[in-house]
Amino acid sequence: MLARPVHMKKISLYMVDTDAQQAALTLARMQVLHPFNDRLQDMDMQEYPANAYSEQYNSLSNRFTKLTAGSQQNFTDHNDLNSIVTLQQIELLDEELKDLWAIVSALEERQRQQVEKLNATQQLIKSLQKFISLDLDLSRLKHPGRFLKIIVGSIPSGHLAQLKRALSLADFMIESFYSAEGIDHVVVVGSSLQQHDVQDLLKSADFREINVPEEFSGNPAQLQVDLTNQTREIEQAIETVIAKREQLLSEIAPILQNVHDVLLQARPYASLAMVLKGKGGLVFLQGWVPARAQDAITLRLQQDLRFPVHIQFSSPHMKEYESVPSLLEHNWLLRPFQSLVSNFGIPCYAEFDPTVLFSISYILMFGMMFGDVGHGAVIALASMFLWKRYRSIAIVASLAGISSIVFGFIYGSLFGFEEVVEPLWMSPMHDPEKILLVALGWGAIFLLISNLLAILNFLSMGLKSEALYSGKGFAGLLFYLAALYAGYQMMANNQTGYSELILLALPMAVIMWHLWRHTSADFFERTLVVLIESLEHLISSVSGTLSFLRVAAFSLNHIALAAAVFSIAAMMDTTGHWITVVLGNLFIIVLEGAIVAIQCLRLEYYEGFSRFFSGTGKAFEPLKLGDHR
Amino acid sequence: MSRYSCAYLSTRLSLLASRLISFEQLSSLIDLELDQILSKVYEWTGHRYQLDQRNARRIENQLAKTALDDFQILIRPFSGRERRFFYFAIRWFELVNVKVLIRGKFTSTPKAIIQQQLVDLGAFADLPLEKLLETEDPYEMLRLLESTAYAGIVRQARNVFDEQGNDLFLLDATIDKSFFIDLKKHLQALDAQDAETAGKVMGALLDRFNLLWLLRYRFSYGLSPAKSYFLLTSTGARLHSADLMRMAKIDSIEQLVEALPQKLQQQLQGLTVISDIERVIEYSTLAAAAKGLSVNGSLVSRAFSYILLREAEMRFLQALIKGKQLGFDQALIRQAVIGVR
Repeated sequence: MLARPVHMKKISLYMVDTDAQQAALTLARMQVLHPFNDRLQDMDMQEYPANAYSEQYNSLSNRFTKLTAGSQQNFTDHNDLNSIVTLQQIELLDEELKDLWAIVSALEERQRQQVEKLNATQQLIKSLQKFISLDLDLSRLKHPGRFLKIIVGSIPSGHLAQLKRALSLADFMIESFYSAEGIDHVVVVGSSLQQHDVQDLLKSADFREINVPEEFSGNPAQLQVDLTNQTREIEQAIETVIAKREQLLSEIAPILQNVHDVLLQARPYASLAMVLKGKGGLVFLQGWVPARAQDAITLRLQQDLRFPVHIQFSSPHMKEYESVPSLLEHNWLLRPFQSLVSNFGIPCYAEFDPTVLFSISYILMFGMMFGDVGHGAVIALASMFLWKRYRSIAIVASLAGISSIVFGFIYGSLFGFEEVVEPLWMSPMHDPEKILLVALGWGAIFLLISNLLAILNFLSMGLKSEALYSGKGFAGLLFYLAALYAGYQMMANNQTGYSELILLALPMAVIMWHLWRHTSADFFERTLVVLIESLEHLISSVSGTLSFLRVAAFSLNHIALAAAVFSIAAMMDTTGHWITVVLGNLFIIVLEGAIVAIQCLRLEYYEGFSRFFSGTGKAFEPLKLGDHR
Repeated sequence: MSRYSCAYLSTRLSLLASRLISFEQLSSLIDLELDQILSKVYEWTGHRYQLDQRNARRIENQLAKTALDDFQILIRPFSGRERRFFYFAIRWFELVNVKVLIRGKFTSTPKAIIQQQLVDLGAFADLPLEKLLETEDPYEMLRLLESTAYAGIVRQARNVFDEQGNDLFLLDATIDKSFFIDLKKHLQALDAQDAETAGKVMGALLDRFNLLWLLRYRFSYGLSPAKSYFLLTSTGARLHSADLMRMAKIDSIEQLVEALPQKLQQQLQGLTVISDIERVIEYSTLAAAAKGLSVNGSLVSRAFSYILLREAEMRFLQALIKGKQLGFDQALIRQAVIGVR
């Protein structure tokens, strides 16, 4: 139940540099090495021989990604790839892709220009009607005047006011005759002598001049036809560009497949750029491997490498724990819960993996808060439909549904009807006090387990002082037990005495003393920190336990919601009654079900994990061929 | 914002403000050696910066990082319009990256050099910098930029490069102009009181940019009055549209300074070099920001003022450290950081 991450060993590999690529490839195929760079080890080896390779790999990979973005081509992942890719091979392919990308990029730019042109033409068609109503002899716009310069065009609306004032400085005027979608269609009029300055200014204002065709003044309908034809031509041009791009990509498909294969094989060595150190023909590689793979690694490397290799395995020292990755292995049933745990954080190497405990307590709490045979059955059945596409959600939902059914029988609840099924133990509706006590008891057990786990985690990380004297440690555990005892005395006998106070004060004094020792500040600040943190510990112990009252509250809430549905249904005729009952139950399943699922998660994360689980570990990420895209 | 958040932010602002380097402190740094400067800065601000002989840019990034970390702390309690305003204001830093990228790509600068000039914005980063750096020609980069929050700038950049003969200064101008116009829109969307108080600080900032750009357009780049005026951004506190239009027609720096509103004119009297004017007007803006930071102002205005002051402090320290690293003359550094007055 209290699993730990898989036992790891540090591997140190010394080999001839010409074997490094093969070693990377072999280890990647085995998917057993989590590389890391211990900068303090082998300080003499300060060269990074895979750096140049990695840069070239990245360049090729980027070009490949750009070329294949949005492409329909499916690449085959060959499993038998096992050849060494040289730097020269990558360089040659990169050069080839560089030329190909230049062609594709030019086509994309042409496509963008055409799209922009299309938008402008469509704008023009929209504004055509406004042109007609313009009180101006537009045929004159075609002929440059001796004294008067008239320009028609469009500008972003945001520029109009300032442009108007700026043009007035050059004795020009501007008038907008149509405004839509952030663009103003304008006429600019002024002296021909200043037109050069003004043209320059207009360009800065993102002004787009409209060339008014000859036939415009005479026949606007013809212009509309022309513009529509123009639109069609542009659309065709866009289609041609797209087709050209597609054609080119299909012609170079074999090249791209080859690059895909090369990248696949080159990736392991390239990804070692920052960890593979070397000097004078010798290279050094370090990483973490699962201990159980030790023999297989030795055997495979000795088989695959041309020259002798020195392999050293060592168990991690406590001071190295921070750098050891956590490999969590769970079966298909627990994997979805592992994802929920990972949402909070990855367990450190020395920490317990809380996945099993989490899954059991989560499912139990869901059932306790949402106990109903009918609702549970609906959730369990509905999860079957999700099985194919959303396996993880389906697993969690079906287990939650089953738990709900079990607690439904315990509570005697079926689709909100409390009198149909005989309760196996108790009905929350008829005995709310009992369910509240059960919830408190559950909370106390949950927190005690969390506290014990925290102690064990501290001990396995070598933090003895924390394990014994801190609020999360043994002193905290004693304090909590004393608080439970005092609470029990209060409830049972309605009084507390000196013995309870002493039991509470002693562990609290230890916690405060521990805090005092570990706070570095002046006397006043130290006192303040110790007092506040002790108070915070006291409050969180009480509030953490009370927080579990929501387990009872939601089971009561479930009944209350059902009662509300039945009250509304009772006001209806027979058909309306059953429609209300069905819809009401659906409402309860969806809305309350979701809320309960979130509340359970909240209790797990904030009342459980935050007490014993740091979640600051790093996941085991093995070197692998994988997908480079 | 809740009362608690207000109290927290107000305390936080006072604390951060107390760590700002004053003008006198900054002046005193100029005569010191680099390691002494860093130790003084640590003493005053609590930020420890490490020198890296191999990478001079590293310290600039450290300075930017600590400033951005402070901004993040300040912005966190805000929500809605206020938060949007601040996030937009901090885009100023990313605009620096956008300019570096566009300029670098259009001048075919090697990737490694462009990379060195980029500022690491941490959580504030919005640009896919790696992808942008990997682009192989300027137009590919502009297409990629079009899919980011800076799409509006791309249109301007294309226009500048396609039609205006690759004038890099025009690019800076158009980017700055559109930034300040949008920042003012965000400011106007704030509550009336916040908009008014923060508007005073922003007004001083806009005056500074408008005056400097006007001087540069007219007397460094020789643009026409109409174009110079058009390229200016929204009007600020003292320099209104009519003033700027009138000043755009003036043909010499001396006359232009004479034509300024009285208070500005007094500050700049006798100055004829644009860089000298720049320093004086910048310190005038910072004085307005220091006033905005006072405890009586609205929290938005105080936080905005702090951002301006902290940004300036970062820039001054960067200039000072760079000057020292390059072994520049102290007088030159003094002029660059403090100015002539």
